[in-house]
Amino acid sequence: MNRPPRPVPMTLNLAPMVDVMMCLIIFFLLAAKMVAAEHYPVALPWAVAAKTVEPGDLGTRVTITVRPAGAGEAAETAEYVVADWDGQQIVERVLRPEDVEALLAARAARAAHDSQKLRCVIRADERVRYEHVEVVLRGCGLAQISDIVFTVNQGADPREPG
Amino acid sequence: MRRRPAAPGEGVPNLAPMVDVIMVLLVFFLLGTSLELVAQGALQTELDPRSGPGAGVRVDIHPQIRIALTDWNDGAGARIALLDEPLPDNDFEALHRLLLERRRAGADPANALVIGAETTVRWRYVVRAMDAAVRAGFTNVQFAVSFRPAP
Repeated sequence: MNRPPRPVPMTLNLAPMVDVMMCLIIFFLLAAKMVAAEHYPVALPWAVAAKTVEPGDLGTRVTITVRPAGAGEAAETAEYVVADWDGQQIVERVLRPEDVEALLAARAARAAHDSQKLRCVIRADERVRYEHVEVVLRGCGLAQISDIVFTVNQGADPREPG
Repeated sequence: MRRRPAAPGEGVPNLAPMVDVIMVLLVFFLLGTSLELVAQGALQTELDPRSGPGAGVRVDIHPQIRIALTDWNDGAGARIALLDEPLPDNDFEALHRLLLERRRAGADPANALVIGAETTVRWRYVVRAMDAAVRAGFTNVQFAVSFRPAP
């Protein structure tokens, strides 16, 4: 007498899917870290004319955060923060004003080597003096980076009347 | 006692819970990379292509419109001058209205509008001047930068 065949459990081989998803997770993990590194908390100024930006629209960029070096309203000195890769992880690197020019020159040279147009994104705290932002503008001029984007809060300043 | 041979599929770890967890992580990081810029905007400018390299290079720009900002009360405000004419109330809305009048009077929006600020003026006032210019329709807003040693 013929016995009916034993039921064979149907299982999907999920291993390749897990591999792909792991790669995606690592990618987004690093991307999220990079996005966070480009958004160090600073009190950005307000501008009604500001346009919405998507990270992809900015293309190849170097983002420099200019923030007061000391506490309080009087920002006599400022420090320049960039996200950098130390070989193991993305770290916050604080630059002196005189290092900003060297950084911009190096990034501009690398972008030129890769035939890419480099853009400089400046995230300056509203309390810093113009001379502190001028350091970055001057560095851009010397490195021949003409495309500059200032990050601001969109809308009218809520502290201003009317 | 003879052991029963393993049926096909037996002994394979169940990956479904792992896939669930990975999916949740994936969605979390996907959103994490895109949510940050929602509330922020950008103002764009271009430096004069003739500027740099070399700290000794000096570029003379002859702007159609010049806005000068000077510090007032140690960072508490800024004095505004449009084409060397001080604005009486140092109001950025008044600056915007004056720029709008110039645009309506036929000023070319593509011509350079240069903002020159005293070094001690707070950045927020420089951005407000730029905002007033961009809102008035000027597309070529530039900044006067002094080529001197860093502070």
